[in-house]
Amino acid sequence: MQTNLSPEFRGTQQGATAEAILRKCVHCGFCLATCPTYQLLGNELDGPRGRIYLIKQVLEGATVTRSTQQHLDRCLTCRSCETTCPSGVDYGHLIDIGRQVIDERVARPTREKFVRWLLKVGLTSSFFGPAIKLGALLRPMLPKTLQNKVPLPSDIESGSWPTRIHARKVLLLAGCVQPSIRPNINAATARVLDAAGIQSLVAGKAGCCGAIRVHLNDRPGGLNDMRRNIDAWWPTIESNAIDAIIMNASGCGVMVKDYGAALAADASYAKKAARVSALTMDLSELLPDLVSALRTRVIASSQQLMAFHSPCTLQHGQRLLGGVERHLQSLGFKVEVTLSENHQCCGSAGTYSVLEPKIAYQLRDRKLAEIGRLKPRCIISANIGCIQHLQSGTSIPVKHWIEILDQAIV
Amino acid sequence: MSNDAQLHQLVEQIHAARERRAPLNICGGGSKIFYGGMPRGDALHVGSLEGISSYEPTELVVTARAGTKLVELEKILVQKNQYLAFDPPQFSASATVGGMVAAGLAGPARASVGGVRDYVLGVALLNGRGELMRFGGQVIKNVAGYDVSRLAVGSMGVLGVICEVSLKVLPLPAVDATLQWEIGANEALEKMNQWRGQPLPINATSWFQGRLRLRLRGSRAAVQAASDLLRGSSVEANEGTQWWTELRDHRQAFFKVDAPSIARDQSLWRLSVPATAQLMMPSEEVLIEWAGALRWWRTSLSAETVRNYATQAGGHATLFYGGDKSFAKCTPFAPLSEASMRIHRNLKTAFDPDNLFNPGRLCADF
Amino acid sequence: MPQTEAQVAAVLVACHELGVPVVARGAGTGLSGGATPHRFGVILSLARFNRVIRVDPLNCLAVVECGVRNLSISEAAAPFGLYYAPDPSSQIACTIGGNIAENSGGVHCLKYGLTLHNVLKLRGFTASGELIEFGSEALDSPGLDLLSIVVGSEGMLAVITEVTVKLIPKPPVARCLLASFADLEAAGNAVAAVIAAGIIPAGLELMDRRMTAAVESFVHAGYDLNAAAILLCESDGTCDEVEEEIGHMGAVLKSCGATRLSVSQDEAERLRFWSGRKNAFPASGRISPDYMCMDSTIPRKRMAEMLRAIEAMELKYDLRCANVFHAGDGNLHPLILFDANDPDQLRRCELFGAEILEASVHLGGTISGEHGVGLEKLNSMCVQFSPLERQQMIAVKRAFDPKEILNPGKVIPTLHRCAEYGKMTVHRGLLPFAELPRF
Repeated sequence: MQTNLSPEFRGTQQGATAEAILRKCVHCGFCLATCPTYQLLGNELDGPRGRIYLIKQVLEGATVTRSTQQHLDRCLTCRSCETTCPSGVDYGHLIDIGRQVIDERVARPTREKFVRWLLKVGLTSSFFGPAIKLGALLRPMLPKTLQNKVPLPSDIESGSWPTRIHARKVLLLAGCVQPSIRPNINAATARVLDAAGIQSLVAGKAGCCGAIRVHLNDRPGGLNDMRRNIDAWWPTIESNAIDAIIMNASGCGVMVKDYGAALAADASYAKKAARVSALTMDLSELLPDLVSALRTRVIASSQQLMAFHSPCTLQHGQRLLGGVERHLQSLGFKVEVTLSENHQCCGSAGTYSVLEPKIAYQLRDRKLAEIGRLKPRCIISANIGCIQHLQSGTSIPVKHWIEILDQAIV
Repeated sequence: MSNDAQLHQLVEQIHAARERRAPLNICGGGSKIFYGGMPRGDALHVGSLEGISSYEPTELVVTARAGTKLVELEKILVQKNQYLAFDPPQFSASATVGGMVAAGLAGPARASVGGVRDYVLGVALLNGRGELMRFGGQVIKNVAGYDVSRLAVGSMGVLGVICEVSLKVLPLPAVDATLQWEIGANEALEKMNQWRGQPLPINATSWFQGRLRLRLRGSRAAVQAASDLLRGSSVEANEGTQWWTELRDHRQAFFKVDAPSIARDQSLWRLSVPATAQLMMPSEEVLIEWAGALRWWRTSLSAETVRNYATQAGGHATLFYGGDKSFAKCTPFAPLSEASMRIHRNLKTAFDPDNLFNPGRLCADF
Repeated sequence: MPQTEAQVAAVLVACHELGVPVVARGAGTGLSGGATPHRFGVILSLARFNRVIRVDPLNCLAVVECGVRNLSISEAAAPFGLYYAPDPSSQIACTIGGNIAENSGGVHCLKYGLTLHNVLKLRGFTASGELIEFGSEALDSPGLDLLSIVVGSEGMLAVITEVTVKLIPKPPVARCLLASFADLEAAGNAVAAVIAAGIIPAGLELMDRRMTAAVESFVHAGYDLNAAAILLCESDGTCDEVEEEIGHMGAVLKSCGATRLSVSQDEAERLRFWSGRKNAFPASGRISPDYMCMDSTIPRKRMAEMLRAIEAMELKYDLRCANVFHAGDGNLHPLILFDANDPDQLRRCELFGAEILEASVHLGGTISGEHGVGLEKLNSMCVQFSPLERQQMIAVKRAFDPKEILNPGKVIPTLHRCAEYGKMTVHRGLLPFAELPRF
């Protein structure tokens, strides 16, 4: 489309990136068909094309209002539109820029500022773990809205961590909220990899991947998270001890795979960041190896139907579609995906379920209704956010697929 | 006389009629003079405006002047292995292309291939000011401007004088076959409805006097496969063709309402209803076509009663043969809603402000 | 953004009273600017009318609200072995209401017809907010066939809220034949030869090399990138029937100089063959910042001539053009590639487009096959229709909408505009009888 950036943005790196993305859009509207918020709200400003126009207007010097900000806030960043887009518009990066530019120009109400600060600091801090443990114990006494966010005491049991040493090693990102609310996911990952002859290393100083801060429009804070992780991993990477950095939360995976692009302008980190991104793999990308190593050791129950919900960060963000279900099926598991709307977001979307609860819960219930039609005994997914969010709306257990594989190994 | 000269003459007649405020009765071959309201006004003959103006078999399009006889057009198309797929009736050999469009009647194949309007690509029309205009075109896909050419289909000539028509034609099917079953009307309706949802090359269906007939049309392979699947008794080719042609042209005795042997007060009604509508009349009084969507009913019941049946079924009834069609007694066509009638009146004014053409043939109002 | 019919009526009543323009809008995927907002008007977004009301398999019909996406109808009908035939390339996103407004086609309309041929009944409101129905579940209705003029009227005659469409049985088998040609002209001639052989393919599409290269990087359909043009020919029906037709088509294409033929082996491959075609327009965003998509129809036999003319125009205007055609219908979609940030390119592109449309009319065709006139082709309407004809169309508009509040300023150009476009003297005179010698 035609663009005419205002002098303020012309020539800046941000402006140049945004313009290159905008030019690709031919405003065909195909994206409306798969955008969850447009499907729910029916307002074109709550669809990708409308948001692209809003961002374009801002970059062309139009007045920015609170309403512009809200239309952008309502985007889940599920990036379903990118998968649909025939023209190859890099919407994810464009909305990051748009949000940042708008936040610099429009003040948020105090309450909203506080919630955003709390999420940013709280979720990534060292106090989060103990707080969750306490919360889990007190869960019955908490109000419903908080109960939804706090795990059951049984969720925070993790089992043992393997101790064997293998020649093949990978780095594993433990993450920020995952070790506290579903520690078993990391432990199960380590056990399954161990069974397949791969040793998992966790760098103690690594923490949040940066996605939380980036999506709450604290880009500098997010970049610091990234630098900290790179520093924590670098000695191991430099010594060539590992052949991959493994992500078992697809939300983190999509962020870490983007480190190279995010830090491209930072001379001292650009190269390292690119190396980290190149080494990063989603856990499911290891499945071909795992399947061949574990084929004889897995006893899968072919009776129990499991529904796989593919997180947006996996299928749209990382463009990894079909791998999990195909490989689990090849091990004898009975896994299916929903007949329709498999591409749709469950509404979790990082901190979105806290910031835009109404839409988030509508999407969750819509997703659970679709899943319900399969009548599964268990729902599996690949991202902690989706797992927590879906679990809050159903009595069917929601697990990470690695936990299922872990249980089936004899 | 050349066509241009004839056209000039028509324009002059229209101007003259306009000055005298005298209505005009557009006349073609006169084969459907009984259809719709009673004709009145001075005759405006378009029958001599005839001939094919262009025919491109590879384009699947033929353009013919309004007075061209359907028999002639058929002959020309057959030479190139093509035909008009929608089976326009020829109530007599004088039926013309213009009349076919103005009446908008299609024959037995209607339910599977579409009606007249689905094959009209363009028309040239003289409006009530004697202005010649063309709408649509000679290509299959055309959405430039409003599609006035399709509005002319079934207009009974009230919008203007149809002078020339472009039609979509199709290649003749490789094979035709007729099958039949001896069954009752209700069972026949059920069968027709079920077949409709299946991918079968069914081209036409009819039920009359205990006999369900079905015409298959298409490639050899498809017709063969369907014959094997449907298991009706097969009808000899000539006999089959004869049945469908006579049905198309209403040559069966069933349609002859003014035959002396028939009671005077009987009329023949045409009921166009959803295909799944219940039978609603004694089966000995009905002939069913179009997979159930068209029902010809010979009855002496009042217009009101017949129309009620049709409306309840979600369709409408037209008084086709017999009865008194002067609008004072009974309108041949079902009445329209108020909102629709307002648009009808406005459209009439837009095309024929002085109310010259075919007054009373479509509506009592104009 | 009304949610009920009563709200739609209320909006119309109020706007009618005040004389405020109303532009009905669905998903906004149209390609001629038909749903572009009016500067002083109201946008009536019908996005929330998105329910499939019922599917009646026995009657082979579906009743849906106007905001339902085209593809959702076929999805809802699929369990009964039925589908809705018209499939415009934007079918994942475009709404049935928009399809009605534009009388949309698609890649299968040579055999299955346009939107008009697949719609039974419309329910909606007149400009003054009065409830009205066009057509019925029977195959015809008394009075004038208003349904046929409302379909394709680009939202200017009524606001439609509910649509009853015809569903047809899904053919048991469909296969697609992919043929490569060393030059565009041979491909154009092959299209005419297929029809001349008495075949009505379910779909017959042409793409030139520039287009295949652009889509291949998105869909990976396995197109022959060395071919100057490829033809996609589809056959559907029973197994034997398709076998017979594919064989027949293959032979015709070979005799017309096809350099490579491949037939889809399964449904997945068939869909992949088509996905490139369906994504063709937006995928041009990958080879050019902007494109202008033209949509004209010409007699099939003039196709090669038209392609040569377009090649000459590429040189004349110094712009590239990618071609994708509904070849079976003679419906062309040349995509003129340009950079909108360069004002001169934009100007040249518009001239290029107008010249294509003009050439189409001269070759016996029309300025719009399926995208509609909207705002985009207002000028070109002056080329195709005489002042009298346009005046008659305006009169039709007023018959439905006397105050002209529905989507004003689209489709029918004013006399004044045409005069500015400079066509009045060149093409047709103002005298009432200037047309007569056309017979």
